[in-house]
Amino acid sequence: MGHGKYIAPPKGMYQVQAGEILNLEFVVLPGESKDIDVSVDLCGPGAEAHLKGLYLCKADEKVNFRIVMHHKAPGCHSTQLFNGIAGGSAQVTFNGTIVVAPDAQKTEAFQENHNIVLTETAVVNTKPQLEIYADDVKCSHGATVGQLNQDELFYMRSRGIPESEAKTLQMLSFLSPVIPAGREEEIEQALRHV
Amino acid sequence: MLEIKNLHAKVEGKEILNGIDLTIGAGEVHAVMGPNGAGKSTLAAVLTGKPGYEVTEGTVLFQGQDLLAMSPEERAWAGLFLSFQYPIEIPGVTITAFMKAAVNAKRKAAGLPEMKTGDFLKLMKEKMAFVQMKPEFAKREVNVGFSGGEKKRNEIFQMALLEPSLSILDETDSGLDVDALKIVADGVNALRNPERSAIIVTHYHKLLEYVQPDFVHVLKAGRIVKTGGRELIDAIESKGFDQF
Repeated sequence: MGHGKYIAPPKGMYQVQAGEILNLEFVVLPGESKDIDVSVDLCGPGAEAHLKGLYLCKADEKVNFRIVMHHKAPGCHSTQLFNGIAGGSAQVTFNGTIVVAPDAQKTEAFQENHNIVLTETAVVNTKPQLEIYADDVKCSHGATVGQLNQDELFYMRSRGIPESEAKTLQMLSFLSPVIPAGREEEIEQALRHV
Repeated sequence: MLEIKNLHAKVEGKEILNGIDLTIGAGEVHAVMGPNGAGKSTLAAVLTGKPGYEVTEGTVLFQGQDLLAMSPEERAWAGLFLSFQYPIEIPGVTITAFMKAAVNAKRKAAGLPEMKTGDFLKLMKEKMAFVQMKPEFAKREVNVGFSGGEKKRNEIFQMALLEPSLSILDETDSGLDVDALKIVADGVNALRNPERSAIIVTHYHKLLEYVQPDFVHVLKAGRIVKTGGRELIDAIESKGFDQF
Protein backbone atom coordinates (compact mmCIF):
# COMPACT_ATOMS: atom_id res chain seq x y z
CA MET A 1 0.00 0.00 0.00
CA GLY A 2 1.58 3.28 -1.08
CA HIS A 3 1.76 6.51 0.81
CA GLY A 4 0.87 8.69 -2.17
CA LYS A 5 -2.54 10.03 -3.10
CA TYR A 6 -4.39 8.54 -5.95
CA ILE A 7 -7.78 8.70 -7.52
CA ALA A 8 -9.79 5.72 -6.45
CA PRO A 9 -11.56 3.43 -8.86
CA PRO A 10 -15.32 3.36 -8.25
CA LYS A 11 -15.30 -0.02 -6.58
CA GLY A 12 -12.66 -1.37 -4.32
CA MET A 13 -11.65 -3.07 -1.14
CA TYR A 14 -8.54 -1.91 0.60
CA GLN A 15 -6.61 -3.49 3.41
CA VAL A 16 -4.28 -1.16 5.24
CA GLN A 17 -1.61 -2.85 7.31
CA ALA A 18 0.20 -1.67 10.43
CA GLY A 19 1.86 1.73 9.98
CA GLU A 20 0.61 2.20 6.40
CA ILE A 21 -1.26 5.25 5.16
CA LEU A 22 -3.92 5.10 2.48
CA ASN A 23 -5.00 8.31 0.73
CA LEU A 24 -7.94 8.11 -1.65
CA GLU A 25 -9.53 10.87 -3.67
CA PHE A 26 -12.83 10.62 -5.50
CA VAL A 27 -13.95 13.06 -8.17
CA VAL A 28 -17.29 12.78 -9.97
CA LEU A 29 -17.87 15.46 -12.59
CA PRO A 30 -21.05 16.18 -14.56
CA GLY A 31 -21.78 13.91 -17.48
CA GLU A 32 -22.13 10.55 -15.85
CA SER A 33 -24.01 8.56 -13.28
CA LYS A 34 -21.82 6.63 -10.94
CA ASP A 35 -21.91 4.07 -8.14
CA ILE A 36 -18.97 4.26 -5.83
CA ASP A 37 -18.64 1.35 -3.48
CA VAL A 38 -15.54 1.28 -1.36
CA SER A 39 -14.59 -0.48 1.80
CA VAL A 40 -11.44 0.09 3.76
CA ASP A 41 -10.19 -2.25 6.46
CA LEU A 42 -7.66 -0.85 8.87
CA CYS A 43 -6.05 -4.19 9.73
CA GLY A 44 -2.88 -3.39 11.63
CA PRO A 45 -2.14 -1.11 14.58
CA GLY A 46 -1.53 2.52 13.63
CA ALA A 47 -2.90 2.20 10.09
CA GLU A 48 -4.36 5.35 8.58
CA ALA A 49 -6.85 6.10 5.83
CA HIS A 50 -7.79 9.53 4.50
CA LEU A 51 -10.60 9.83 1.98
CA LYS A 52 -11.68 12.94 0.14
CA GLY A 53 -14.50 13.15 -2.33
CA LEU A 54 -15.94 15.78 -4.61
CA TYR A 55 -19.04 15.43 -6.74
CA LEU A 56 -20.88 17.71 -9.11
CA CYS A 57 -24.08 16.36 -10.56
CA LYS A 58 -26.62 17.80 -12.93
CA ALA A 59 -29.52 16.83 -15.20
CA ASP A 60 -30.89 13.41 -14.20
CA GLU A 61 -27.58 11.96 -13.07
CA LYS A 62 -27.53 9.52 -10.20
CA VAL A 63 -24.52 9.31 -7.96
CA ASN A 64 -24.33 6.84 -5.11
CA PHE A 65 -21.61 6.55 -2.55
CA ARG A 66 -21.27 3.60 -0.25
CA ILE A 67 -18.24 3.87 1.99
CA VAL A 68 -17.42 1.48 4.78
CA MET A 69 -14.50 2.30 7.05
CA HIS A 70 -13.74 -0.66 9.25
CA HIS A 71 -11.40 -0.14 12.17
CA LYS A 72 -10.21 -3.64 13.01
CA ALA A 73 -7.02 -2.90 14.95
CA PRO A 74 -6.14 -0.53 17.79
CA GLY A 75 -4.72 2.97 17.35
CA CYS A 76 -5.89 3.50 13.76
CA HIS A 77 -6.89 6.85 12.36
CA SER A 78 -9.36 7.63 9.58
CA THR A 79 -10.73 10.84 8.13
CA GLN A 80 -13.37 11.29 5.44
CA LEU A 81 -14.54 14.50 3.84
CA PHE A 82 -17.04 14.42 0.98
CA ASN A 83 -18.43 17.69 -0.43
CA GLY A 84 -20.83 17.77 -3.34
CA ILE A 85 -23.20 19.93 -5.33
CA ALA A 86 -26.39 18.69 -6.98
CA GLY A 87 -28.29 20.61 -9.64
CA GLY A 88 -30.95 19.77 -12.21
CA SER A 89 -32.91 16.78 -11.02
CA ALA A 90 -29.84 14.87 -9.94
CA GLN A 91 -30.09 12.29 -7.20
CA VAL A 92 -27.27 11.74 -4.76
CA THR A 93 -27.08 9.23 -1.96
CA PHE A 94 -24.26 9.05 0.50
CA ASN A 95 -24.06 6.06 2.83
CA GLY A 96 -21.04 6.21 5.02
CA THR A 97 -20.45 3.73 7.77
CA ILE A 98 -17.70 3.64 10.33
CA VAL A 99 -17.34 0.33 12.16
CA VAL A 100 -15.07 0.09 15.19
CA ALA A 101 -14.36 -3.50 16.23
CA PRO A 102 -14.20 -4.47 19.92
CA ASP A 103 -10.38 -4.72 19.80
CA ALA A 104 -9.89 -1.38 18.06
CA GLN A 105 -9.25 0.75 21.14
CA LYS A 106 -7.75 4.25 20.71
CA THR A 107 -9.47 4.57 17.35
CA GLU A 108 -9.86 8.03 15.87
CA ALA A 109 -12.44 8.16 13.11
CA PHE A 110 -14.07 11.20 11.55
CA GLN A 111 -16.48 11.54 8.69
CA GLU A 112 -18.14 14.57 7.14
CA ASN A 113 -20.46 14.93 4.19
CA HIS A 114 -21.63 18.38 3.06
CA ASN A 115 -24.00 19.10 0.22
CA ILE A 116 -25.42 22.04 -1.67
CA VAL A 117 -28.58 21.58 -3.70
CA LEU A 118 -29.05 24.15 -6.45
CA THR A 119 -32.62 23.35 -7.49
CA GLU A 120 -35.86 22.21 -5.96
CA THR A 121 -35.73 19.05 -8.03
CA ALA A 122 -32.29 17.86 -7.00
CA VAL A 123 -32.33 15.34 -4.16
CA VAL A 124 -29.59 14.45 -1.68
CA ASN A 125 -29.90 11.69 0.86
CA THR A 126 -27.05 11.42 3.27
CA LYS A 127 -26.79 8.74 5.90
CA PRO A 128 -23.69 8.69 8.06
CA GLN A 129 -23.59 5.77 10.48
CA LEU A 130 -21.40 4.79 13.36
CA GLU A 131 -21.16 1.27 14.73
CA ILE A 132 -18.86 1.29 17.70
CA TYR A 133 -18.03 -1.84 19.67
CA ALA A 134 -14.97 -0.47 21.54
CA ASP A 135 -15.13 1.99 24.43
CA ASP A 136 -11.95 4.09 24.19
CA VAL A 137 -12.48 5.85 20.86
CA LYS A 138 -12.83 9.31 19.34
CA CYS A 139 -15.40 9.26 16.58
CA SER A 140 -17.60 11.85 14.98
CA HIS A 141 -19.68 12.25 11.90
CA GLY A 142 -21.61 15.11 10.42
CA ALA A 143 -23.77 15.73 7.42
CA THR A 144 -25.35 18.87 6.02
CA VAL A 145 -27.57 19.65 3.05
CA GLY A 146 -28.01 23.33 2.26
CA GLN A 147 -28.37 25.89 -0.46
CA LEU A 148 -26.17 28.68 -1.74
CA ASN A 149 -26.07 31.47 0.81
CA GLN A 150 -28.27 34.31 -0.47
CA ASP A 151 -26.68 36.97 1.76
CA GLU A 152 -23.24 36.13 0.40
CA LEU A 153 -24.55 36.26 -3.16
CA PHE A 154 -26.13 39.67 -2.65
CA TYR A 155 -22.99 41.00 -1.01
CA MET A 156 -20.89 39.92 -4.00
CA ARG A 157 -23.43 41.23 -6.53
CA SER A 158 -23.60 44.58 -4.72
CA ARG A 159 -19.87 44.89 -5.46
CA GLY A 160 -20.48 44.28 -9.15
CA ILE A 161 -19.72 40.56 -9.36
CA PRO A 162 -22.30 39.07 -11.77
CA GLU A 163 -24.69 36.55 -10.22
CA SER A 164 -23.32 33.57 -12.17
CA GLU A 165 -19.76 34.38 -11.16
CA ALA A 166 -20.78 34.98 -7.54
CA LYS A 167 -22.33 31.50 -7.52
CA THR A 168 -19.21 29.98 -9.03
CA LEU A 169 -17.01 31.68 -6.41
CA GLN A 170 -19.23 30.41 -3.65
CA MET A 171 -19.31 26.85 -4.98
CA LEU A 172 -15.56 26.87 -5.49
CA SER A 173 -14.98 27.92 -1.90
CA PHE A 174 -17.37 25.20 -0.72
CA LEU A 175 -15.49 22.55 -2.67
CA SER A 176 -11.97 23.86 -2.09
CA PRO A 177 -11.13 21.49 0.81
CA VAL A 178 -11.75 18.48 -1.47
CA ILE A 179 -10.30 19.67 -4.78
CA PRO A 180 -7.28 17.52 -5.67
CA ALA A 181 -4.07 19.49 -6.20
CA GLY A 182 -3.66 20.67 -9.76
CA ARG A 183 -7.31 20.21 -10.74
CA GLU A 184 -8.61 23.64 -9.64
CA GLU A 185 -9.16 24.96 -13.16
CA GLU A 186 -10.86 21.82 -14.38
CA ILE A 187 -13.27 21.93 -11.44
CA GLU A 188 -13.91 25.64 -11.95
CA GLN A 189 -14.80 25.01 -15.60
CA ALA A 190 -17.11 22.15 -14.61
CA LEU A 191 -18.82 24.41 -12.06
CA ARG A 192 -19.80 26.86 -14.76
CA HIS A 193 -21.90 24.14 -16.36
CA VAL A 194 -23.76 22.76 -13.37
CA MET B 1 -27.43 62.04 -9.56
CA LEU B 2 -30.35 60.37 -7.75
CA GLU B 3 -34.02 61.21 -7.91
CA ILE B 4 -36.44 59.27 -5.73
CA LYS B 5 -40.13 59.96 -6.23
CA ASN B 6 -42.99 58.68 -4.10
CA LEU B 7 -41.17 55.46 -3.25
CA HIS B 8 -43.25 52.80 -1.50
CA ALA B 9 -41.81 49.42 -0.55
CA LYS B 10 -42.89 46.31 1.29
CA VAL B 11 -40.96 43.68 3.18
CA GLU B 12 -42.75 40.41 3.88
CA GLY B 13 -46.04 42.03 2.99
CA LYS B 14 -45.57 44.94 5.38
CA GLU B 15 -45.28 48.47 4.00
CA ILE B 16 -42.09 50.03 5.33
CA LEU B 17 -41.51 52.91 2.91
CA ASN B 18 -44.51 55.18 2.57
CA GLY B 19 -43.76 57.65 -0.18
CA ILE B 20 -40.16 58.84 -0.08
CA ASP B 21 -39.15 61.86 -2.13
CA LEU B 22 -35.46 62.62 -2.19
CA THR B 23 -33.20 64.29 -4.73
CA ILE B 24 -29.44 64.14 -4.46
CA GLY B 25 -27.25 66.29 -6.63
CA ALA B 26 -23.69 65.62 -7.74
CA GLY B 27 -21.14 66.31 -5.03
CA GLU B 28 -23.68 66.44 -2.22
CA VAL B 29 -23.60 64.56 1.06
CA HIS B 30 -27.00 63.83 2.59
CA ALA B 31 -27.62 62.49 6.06
CA VAL B 32 -30.76 60.42 6.60
CA MET B 33 -31.56 60.19 10.27
CA GLY B 34 -34.42 58.55 12.08
CA PRO B 35 -35.39 56.31 14.95
CA ASN B 36 -35.14 52.53 14.80
CA GLY B 37 -37.76 51.06 12.49
CA ALA B 38 -38.21 54.27 10.48
CA GLY B 39 -37.21 52.51 7.25
CA LYS B 40 -33.61 53.71 6.93
CA SER B 41 -32.08 50.34 6.18
CA THR B 42 -35.01 49.41 3.95
CA LEU B 43 -34.32 52.51 1.86
CA ALA B 44 -30.66 51.46 1.51
CA ALA B 45 -31.70 47.89 0.62
CA VAL B 46 -34.25 48.99 -2.00
CA LEU B 47 -31.74 51.33 -3.64
CA THR B 48 -29.15 48.56 -3.97
CA GLY B 49 -31.65 45.92 -5.13
CA LYS B 50 -31.59 43.48 -2.23
CA PRO B 51 -33.90 40.51 -2.94
CA GLY B 52 -36.98 40.30 -0.74
CA TYR B 53 -37.95 43.97 -0.97
CA GLU B 54 -40.96 44.75 -3.11
CA VAL B 55 -41.36 48.22 -4.56
CA THR B 56 -45.09 48.87 -4.87
CA GLU B 57 -45.07 52.45 -6.12
CA GLY B 58 -42.73 55.22 -7.18
CA THR B 59 -39.64 55.72 -9.31
CA VAL B 60 -35.91 56.04 -8.80
CA LEU B 61 -33.63 57.57 -11.42
CA PHE B 62 -29.87 57.17 -11.02
CA GLN B 63 -27.89 59.29 -13.45
CA GLY B 64 -30.94 59.29 -15.68
CA GLN B 65 -31.40 55.49 -15.66
CA ASP B 66 -34.28 53.55 -14.13
CA LEU B 67 -32.48 52.18 -11.08
CA LEU B 68 -35.26 49.84 -10.02
CA ALA B 69 -35.08 47.96 -13.35
CA MET B 70 -31.39 47.14 -12.82
CA SER B 71 -29.85 44.08 -11.14
CA PRO B 72 -27.66 44.65 -8.07
CA GLU B 73 -24.51 44.13 -10.16
CA GLU B 74 -25.69 46.57 -12.84
CA ARG B 75 -26.27 49.16 -10.12
CA ALA B 76 -22.70 48.63 -8.91
CA TRP B 77 -21.37 49.03 -12.45
CA ALA B 78 -23.33 52.27 -12.78
CA GLY B 79 -21.49 53.61 -9.71
CA LEU B 80 -23.66 52.74 -6.71
CA PHE B 81 -22.11 51.39 -3.53
CA LEU B 82 -23.59 50.25 -0.23
CA SER B 83 -21.54 50.06 2.92
CA PHE B 84 -23.39 47.29 4.75
CA GLN B 85 -24.65 47.74 8.28
CA TYR B 86 -23.74 44.09 8.87
CA PRO B 87 -21.00 43.13 6.40
CA ILE B 88 -21.31 39.54 5.21
CA GLU B 89 -18.69 36.85 5.81
CA ILE B 90 -17.63 34.85 2.76
CA PRO B 91 -15.67 31.80 3.94
CA GLY B 92 -13.18 30.49 1.41
CA VAL B 93 -12.94 33.70 -0.63
CA THR B 94 -10.01 36.03 0.06
CA ILE B 95 -10.36 39.80 0.01
CA THR B 96 -7.95 39.86 -2.95
CA ALA B 97 -10.00 37.38 -5.00
CA PHE B 98 -13.24 39.14 -4.05
CA MET B 99 -12.11 42.65 -4.98
CA LYS B 100 -10.27 41.53 -8.10
CA ALA B 101 -13.50 39.93 -9.33
CA ALA B 102 -15.42 43.10 -8.45
CA VAL B 103 -12.99 45.51 -10.10
CA ASN B 104 -12.69 43.44 -13.26
CA ALA B 105 -16.46 42.92 -13.57
CA LYS B 106 -16.91 46.67 -13.43
CA ARG B 107 -14.19 47.20 -16.03
CA LYS B 108 -15.69 44.56 -18.29
CA ALA B 109 -19.10 46.24 -18.08
CA ALA B 110 -17.41 49.49 -19.12
CA GLY B 111 -15.72 47.77 -22.08
CA LEU B 112 -12.26 47.92 -20.50
CA PRO B 113 -9.74 45.05 -20.39
CA GLU B 114 -9.04 43.25 -17.11
CA MET B 115 -6.56 44.93 -14.84
CA LYS B 116 -3.11 43.32 -14.74
CA THR B 117 -2.58 41.43 -11.48
CA GLY B 118 0.48 43.50 -10.56
CA ASP B 119 -1.37 46.77 -11.11
CA PHE B 120 -4.34 45.53 -9.15
CA LEU B 121 -2.24 44.45 -6.17
CA LYS B 122 -0.49 47.82 -6.14
CA LEU B 123 -3.80 49.66 -6.17
CA MET B 124 -5.15 47.43 -3.44
CA LYS B 125 -2.12 48.00 -1.25
CA GLU B 126 -2.50 51.74 -1.65
CA LYS B 127 -6.20 51.70 -0.68
CA MET B 128 -5.60 49.40 2.27
CA ALA B 129 -2.95 51.75 3.59
CA PHE B 130 -5.40 54.60 3.16
CA VAL B 131 -7.92 53.00 5.55
CA GLN B 132 -5.09 51.73 7.78
CA MET B 133 -5.80 48.06 7.09
CA LYS B 134 -2.83 45.79 7.70
CA PRO B 135 -1.42 44.25 4.49
CA GLU B 136 -2.03 40.70 5.73
CA PHE B 137 -5.78 41.29 5.42
CA ALA B 138 -5.37 40.93 1.65
CA LYS B 139 -5.09 37.18 2.12
CA ARG B 140 -7.80 36.81 4.74
CA GLU B 141 -11.21 35.42 3.91
CA VAL B 142 -13.75 38.21 3.47
CA ASN B 143 -14.88 39.38 6.93
CA VAL B 144 -14.30 35.95 8.50
CA GLY B 145 -13.17 36.43 12.08
CA PHE B 146 -13.03 40.24 11.70
CA SER B 147 -13.96 42.46 14.62
CA GLY B 148 -16.83 44.92 14.15
CA GLY B 149 -14.41 47.76 13.47
CA GLU B 150 -12.39 45.70 10.99
CA LYS B 151 -15.53 44.82 9.06
CA LYS B 152 -16.51 48.47 8.74
CA ARG B 153 -13.00 49.41 7.72
CA ASN B 154 -13.15 46.71 5.07
CA GLU B 155 -16.34 48.31 3.72
CA ILE B 156 -14.62 51.69 3.44
CA PHE B 157 -11.61 50.03 1.80
CA GLN B 158 -13.92 48.49 -0.82
CA MET B 159 -15.56 51.87 -1.34
CA ALA B 160 -12.18 53.54 -1.83
CA LEU B 161 -11.15 50.86 -4.32
CA LEU B 162 -14.36 50.91 -6.36
CA GLU B 163 -14.65 54.72 -6.37
CA PRO B 164 -18.45 54.82 -6.63
CA SER B 165 -20.29 57.95 -7.73
CA LEU B 166 -22.94 57.42 -5.05
CA SER B 167 -22.09 55.76 -1.74
CA ILE B 168 -24.73 54.76 0.76
CA LEU B 169 -23.38 54.24 4.25
CA ASP B 170 -25.88 52.23 6.24
CA GLU B 171 -25.18 52.76 9.94
CA THR B 172 -21.47 52.52 9.21
CA ASP B 173 -20.84 54.32 12.50
CA SER B 174 -22.67 51.87 14.74
CA GLY B 175 -20.41 50.00 17.12
CA LEU B 176 -17.27 51.96 16.22
CA ASP B 177 -14.91 53.56 18.65
CA VAL B 178 -13.63 57.09 18.00
CA ASP B 179 -10.46 55.98 16.20
CA ALA B 180 -12.34 53.69 13.83
CA LEU B 181 -14.95 56.39 13.31
CA LYS B 182 -12.25 58.84 12.23
CA ILE B 183 -10.87 56.35 9.73
CA VAL B 184 -14.35 55.87 8.25
CA ALA B 185 -14.86 59.64 8.16
CA ASP B 186 -11.49 60.23 6.51
CA GLY B 187 -12.40 57.64 3.90
CA VAL B 188 -15.68 59.32 3.13
CA ASN B 189 -14.18 62.81 3.11
CA ALA B 190 -11.32 61.79 0.83
CA LEU B 191 -13.81 60.58 -1.76
CA ARG B 192 -15.71 63.86 -1.68
CA ASN B 193 -15.52 65.73 -4.93
CA PRO B 194 -17.91 67.60 -7.22
CA GLU B 195 -18.89 64.40 -9.05
CA ARG B 196 -19.40 62.08 -6.09
CA SER B 197 -22.26 61.99 -3.66
CA ALA B 198 -23.07 60.11 -0.49
CA ILE B 199 -26.02 59.18 1.66
CA ILE B 200 -25.17 58.66 5.31
CA VAL B 201 -27.84 56.69 7.09
CA THR B 202 -27.60 56.91 10.85
CA HIS B 203 -29.58 57.38 14.02
CA TYR B 204 -26.61 58.87 15.71
CA HIS B 205 -24.87 62.22 15.27
CA LYS B 206 -21.28 61.16 15.93
CA LEU B 207 -20.15 60.44 12.35
CA LEU B 208 -21.72 63.71 11.23
CA GLU B 209 -19.27 65.61 13.41
CA TYR B 210 -16.49 64.35 11.14
CA VAL B 211 -18.36 64.27 7.82
CA GLN B 212 -20.23 67.49 7.27
CA PRO B 213 -23.48 66.81 5.42
CA ASP B 214 -24.96 69.36 3.02
CA PHE B 215 -28.50 68.26 3.86
CA VAL B 216 -30.12 66.42 6.74
CA HIS B 217 -33.38 64.48 6.38
CA VAL B 218 -35.49 63.03 9.13
CA LEU B 219 -37.12 59.72 8.23
CA LYS B 220 -40.09 58.56 10.30
CA ALA B 221 -42.60 55.81 9.58
CA GLY B 222 -41.32 55.44 6.04
CA ARG B 223 -41.48 59.10 5.00
CA ILE B 224 -39.16 62.06 5.09
CA VAL B 225 -40.85 64.38 7.56
CA LYS B 226 -38.27 67.15 7.73
CA THR B 227 -35.35 68.39 5.63
CA GLY B 228 -32.82 70.98 6.66
CA GLY B 229 -29.16 71.66 7.28
CA ARG B 230 -26.82 70.91 10.14
CA GLU B 231 -29.09 72.65 12.64
CA LEU B 232 -31.37 69.59 12.45
CA ILE B 233 -28.61 67.40 13.90
CA ASP B 234 -28.44 69.65 16.95
CA ALA B 235 -32.23 69.67 17.28
CA ILE B 236 -32.30 65.84 17.18
CA GLU B 237 -29.44 65.70 19.63
CA SER B 238 -31.24 67.86 22.17
CA LYS B 239 -34.88 66.83 21.70
CA GLY B 240 -34.86 63.45 19.94
CA PHE B 241 -37.08 62.36 17.04
CA ASP B 242 -40.44 62.83 18.79
CA GLN B 243 -40.54 66.52 17.90
CA PHE B 244 -41.07 65.76 14.22
